[in-house]
Amino acid sequence: MNCEICQLKELEVEHYEIEEVLRCILHTIIFHRALGLVRPKEIDLELFEITYVQCGDTEVEKKIDEKIEQFICWVEKHPNKKSQICLSFYEVKNKQASWFTNKIERLYWEQWYINLNVVQQPKMHSSKSSNSKVTVESGEDSHEDRSVRRTTLEGSLRDVLFQIIKFVNDKKDHVPPIPNREGVISFPYEITIPRLDMLYL
Amino acid sequence: MEQIVSQFLLKCLHIILNSRIPSLHPIRRSTVEPGSVSRVRKSDRWFNLLLGDRPSVLDNLNFWHRNLTDPMIVDVILVHEVSNSSSVDNLYGNSTASRGGGSVETVIERWTVHYESPQISPQANDSLSHKKAYKKLIVLLRALYSQMRLLPAYRIFRQLHSATQSYNFDIIYKVSSFSDPFTLTRVEQEMMDEYMFSTPVEVVPPGHVSVSVSFRKTLSDFNLDPSTSLIPRIISDYVGSPATDPLRSFPSSDKGLQEMPFPSRGTRLPSPSPFQRPHSWTSGIHRGAAFGYGFPPTYGLPSPPDHFVHRAQSYRPSVQRTTSFDDYQLSPPFSPASSPSPPGHFLGSNPLQHGRPRPGSAPVMIPRQVATGTTRYATPNSSDSNRHSLPPPSPRSTRLDNSSQESPSGIRMYKKQDISRTGESHLGTTSPYTGHKIMRDNRDDSGRFSGLLSSSDSPRVGFSRSSSRLSFQDDLDDGDFSCPFDVDDVDASDSPASHNLEGKRASEFAPASPMGTKSRDAAVGVLVHMLRTAPPLRQDLSCYTSQSGTTEQDGGIATASGFFMPRKTTDGLEELRSYREMKDLLLSKSATRVFTTEEA
Repeated sequence: MNCEICQLKELEVEHYEIEEVLRCILHTIIFHRALGLVRPKEIDLELFEITYVQCGDTEVEKKIDEKIEQFICWVEKHPNKKSQICLSFYEVKNKQASWFTNKIERLYWEQWYINLNVVQQPKMHSSKSSNSKVTVESGEDSHEDRSVRRTTLEGSLRDVLFQIIKFVNDKKDHVPPIPNREGVISFPYEITIPRLDMLYL
Repeated sequence: MEQIVSQFLLKCLHIILNSRIPSLHPIRRSTVEPGSVSRVRKSDRWFNLLLGDRPSVLDNLNFWHRNLTDPMIVDVILVHEVSNSSSVDNLYGNSTASRGGGSVETVIERWTVHYESPQISPQANDSLSHKKAYKKLIVLLRALYSQMRLLPAYRIFRQLHSATQSYNFDIIYKVSSFSDPFTLTRVEQEMMDEYMFSTPVEVVPPGHVSVSVSFRKTLSDFNLDPSTSLIPRIISDYVGSPATDPLRSFPSSDKGLQEMPFPSRGTRLPSPSPFQRPHSWTSGIHRGAAFGYGFPPTYGLPSPPDHFVHRAQSYRPSVQRTTSFDDYQLSPPFSPASSPSPPGHFLGSNPLQHGRPRPGSAPVMIPRQVATGTTRYATPNSSDSNRHSLPPPSPRSTRLDNSSQESPSGIRMYKKQDISRTGESHLGTTSPYTGHKIMRDNRDDSGRFSGLLSSSDSPRVGFSRSSSRLSFQDDLDDGDFSCPFDVDDVDASDSPASHNLEGKRASEFAPASPMGTKSRDAAVGVLVHMLRTAPPLRQDLSCYTSQSGTTEQDGGIATASGFFMPRKTTDGLEELRSYREMKDLLLSKSATRVFTTEEA
């Protein structure tokens, strides 16, 4: 079975936006892949005028939040870098127990790469003490910049969500049959943070 | 396979309506845990997507959409007021194209769901292929659900749905089985973006199901701001006041449209859009007069119950309408029970609107309060409408539940919830025992309402007819408040005729009051109700014990003690006396206030 890979459009986010953006994207993808009985839960983003849908499973929420925290920690250690989060869906194949290990093989059938470019706005606070007039002007500029950036990010995030929906619709054949199990999540998944080469802005 | 496809169509429609039509959107978020899947209707489990209760309009779909291979086209239409629309005549205009003045309808989204099965010969009944198809449809529905929230129209829906403010626009829908080329002008088509949900889903090849949408990319062209022109207005000649004749009949000017034949489901209404064809139905703006409860003229606009607020805005300027509105209010569309014998009735009664047939969604009984800005009504309204839109047995059962739940807080609830609530209370949610009686009345009267819309009688009264305990009764006897709470009248005059006449007044009087006097009237209404439900002498004690065991019921007014005591005649009389005193006190206060407002 081939593994379908989807590279989502890169998003330029600021530190404080990471959590919301990631949560939105991850939940959206999982909602489309959680084919068990679901009561959809709509969540409005605070930073943007976007509403996304969660599958409503608390386990999933927990797992996603944990991973996002991990990612944020990683980003803090490696600032101003492009980074990725990978959400993979797999099937579990029990391999014959070999002499050494009783390995369980995972057969990935879909992988989503969320590309983020975490930027940090140059801090204005440090220059406040020096020249108040200058800071005011630069503060205003950064304000405008910020709102422009925010609007752009909102548009891009919407594009990413459309991208997800399109991908989900286009490719359905590779989705394995839904196993007969209770619960919302029909397919096991994992969220990983692949290491990338350091890229400096 | 056929079943899968038909359920798929239903589910699609359900999703679309839930996400676009505020009136049909159930308020369930607060009450239902996201993860809970218990108590789920079997029909909701289709495609593993729980959406909650289906609006009753979906039941129409099966009836109407006979041929599965016909495309199902759902138009989401934005109705918005144009600024220079004070002319009443324009409101009778009925096309979907833009017009100067009046309300303008624009198709903002067009969803097309199409199942194509080229072969008529029965498909191989391969369960594996069915499973695959089912799985794919599940995914497709998920995508549809998400997509609904990403398109621009969702924002508008949320604005309307939140209902913290009133707006001068509304969203309605129309379902048809063909693509009406006339509804979308070329210009409009150009403005719309097309999005095809990718490749059609193969279901039992060679058939396939496809979903696509054309939507307007931007909705900023419309002036979709909340209306700010609402100012609570005290209507001096308010119908419910003793000074006016509450038995005003419907003005003849409106009769013309009222007498429109009530279309039955699925048939075409003669007058409106020439483009309207059979096999299509719409949620029309004229959701019928369901609002009735003695809504004060200001609010008494014959707008859909859910869209009441917006409509109120638009009709505000035309004073001449107020009278007609009163009468509309009187009309009974006592929706919930009558929803099954549906919409036809409501449609005809709404001459102001375009008179398009509106099926299905049962109007809410309680119009939203307009300028108070309270959102409280929105919730009960929507939830009510949701309840009401259920098939007939359900509303009653839910209401019964409600009444039993509400009775504990009985009086307190009254005082808090004002007009809309009192309106509803008369429906019998106030006290359990009246509750079930009223519901019984509903059942009995549901057939009546259809005929009553065009008459000026207050069908609404029908509810109070057979139940002698209803709070209407005390008001029935006189409109001049001299002794509305006369004990003797409690058990007397059970005749429908008297109730018809007076109940109208009563219903107008008690629940309805202009903003400024609402608390007074609400209090009076509460009082009236209590007196009505006061267990006097012939009261069926068994009835009481079973229902009011826990709570205050009528005794609550003075004591709010909340416990049930065996009643004796003397107790009853004493209570009655105290009630009378209170009543007199309130009346005197109200009399002074009426004077002051009239003078002002």
